[in-house]
Amino acid sequence: MIELLQLPFMQRALIACLVLGVLLAYLGIFVTLRKMAFFSDGVAHAALAGAAIGLLTRFSPLISALIFSMLLACLIYWLEKKSSLSSDAIIGILFTSGMALGIVLISLRKGYQPELLGYLFGNILAIRRQDLALIVILAILIMAFIIRHKRKLTLLALDREMAYMAGVNPDFYQLLIYVMLACALVLGIRVMGVILVSAILIVPVSTARLFSRSFKTLTIWTAVIAESVMIGGLLLSYYLNLPSGAVIVLVGSTVFSLTFIAHSLRRQRRQKRQSPTN
Amino acid sequence: MPPVLEVKDLTVRFAGCTALEGVSFTIEKNAIIAVIGPNGSGKTTLLKAILGLVPFQGEIRLFSKPLRQVLPQVGYVPQRFAFDSTFPLTVEEFINLTCRTPEKLPLGGVLDEVGMKGFKGKLIGELSGGQLQRVLLAHALVHRPRILFLDEATSGIDIEGLSDFYSTIQRLNREHGVTVMMVSHEISMVYKFTDRIICLNRDLISHGETRTALTREVLKKLYGDSADLRNHSHD
Repeated sequence: MIELLQLPFMQRALIACLVLGVLLAYLGIFVTLRKMAFFSDGVAHAALAGAAIGLLTRFSPLISALIFSMLLACLIYWLEKKSSLSSDAIIGILFTSGMALGIVLISLRKGYQPELLGYLFGNILAIRRQDLALIVILAILIMAFIIRHKRKLTLLALDREMAYMAGVNPDFYQLLIYVMLACALVLGIRVMGVILVSAILIVPVSTARLFSRSFKTLTIWTAVIAESVMIGGLLLSYYLNLPSGAVIVLVGSTVFSLTFIAHSLRRQRRQKRQSPTN
Repeated sequence: MPPVLEVKDLTVRFAGCTALEGVSFTIEKNAIIAVIGPNGSGKTTLLKAILGLVPFQGEIRLFSKPLRQVLPQVGYVPQRFAFDSTFPLTVEEFINLTCRTPEKLPLGGVLDEVGMKGFKGKLIGELSGGQLQRVLLAHALVHRPRILFLDEATSGIDIEGLSDFYSTIQRLNREHGVTVMMVSHEISMVYKFTDRIICLNRDLISHGETRTALTREVLKKLYGDSADLRNHSHD
């Protein structure tokens, strides 16, 4: 284990997992409350086009994917406001088009394309020093903003009218959530891949919701579960020599399934105790 | 004394459809006003226009100012609060979300006022319809608003709870001087508990003191021939 921690790529991957785990899981609370899972999935998939543009132009794929995804988030927001199309239709069209564009652009490069698999399913070997610096800086900035504006973001996720009545500008904060979410998802792509990254938004919070009895405990447990799943999955993927993103998601879904079974059994026992005996 | 609320020539249109046309009225301080009318008559639209939640033509002034400037003095209880009931949020956490400062609000008093003392730690999703409406009322009252808007706030409350809810509103109005404007379908409760009424059917049918403005003719105009005042005289 100590030997493992001495490997530079593993150190970078562990730091990335620690930072991304808490960021994505915390954003996941707002995503599930506001029912934005499809938006998250769509933006993450479409980010492949941004990464492909970076690869083709020899610019940083991470930065180009960040810019592309944030612009896409703004475009989705604008179309939702200005067109009569449903949000699902807008995201569905943009996400498939973005992903298709990414595959076509990567295919334009000659020869075998190992990057494609890395972007699709995550590759911890691909996290470079400068990528890690960007991940840490942006994650801290987004987390600081979320913590500072937690009340406004929660209120908006609960009810738009109520947020407006409490003095929150719903349009401004909605756009900010979209952009922050797009940014956080792209940061997670190096570890999880575009296909699987949104799992960390959904799985930890869904697990914590099964037993949390307040928003405060939900927040704490979501972060704890996300960190455990990310670190546990990463280490397991190293020992099993399997793709990191896929193993992290499988660890997460196993934790969710076990919690769900335990929660259901406990609820059944409680109902039995409460029901009158004949 | 200037009126609390002035509405002049208010018109609201949605995609070519007119929801309200040329509505004008004023509301005086400390009154309880009911907005009545059949389904689709523009009652909720009127409230939403006053609160700036829908675009409108005309002029609306609250405490002689545009709404944005006086928003902290306004409380609002929506018709329904459609949130994910499995989300773990306690009553205390929910009410504190409206807090504009980092300090927590003293909730005991406001929960007691709406008859929800002891419910601070309960999950919002585990409350009954009536209890949730009372929590929404507490949520709207926590900043001690000068005017309170209720949009069919009694829709989830059973018949036994109705009178209690209206009594609470009346007490808040009498003891704290809160002006109340409510959209309601319960004509008998309106007759018993409100001072003034606004009768709407896309345009203003009548408005004035409840006992004089709520006539058989007005009710027939609003709800058709089957409506009469028999149910309203049991106070």
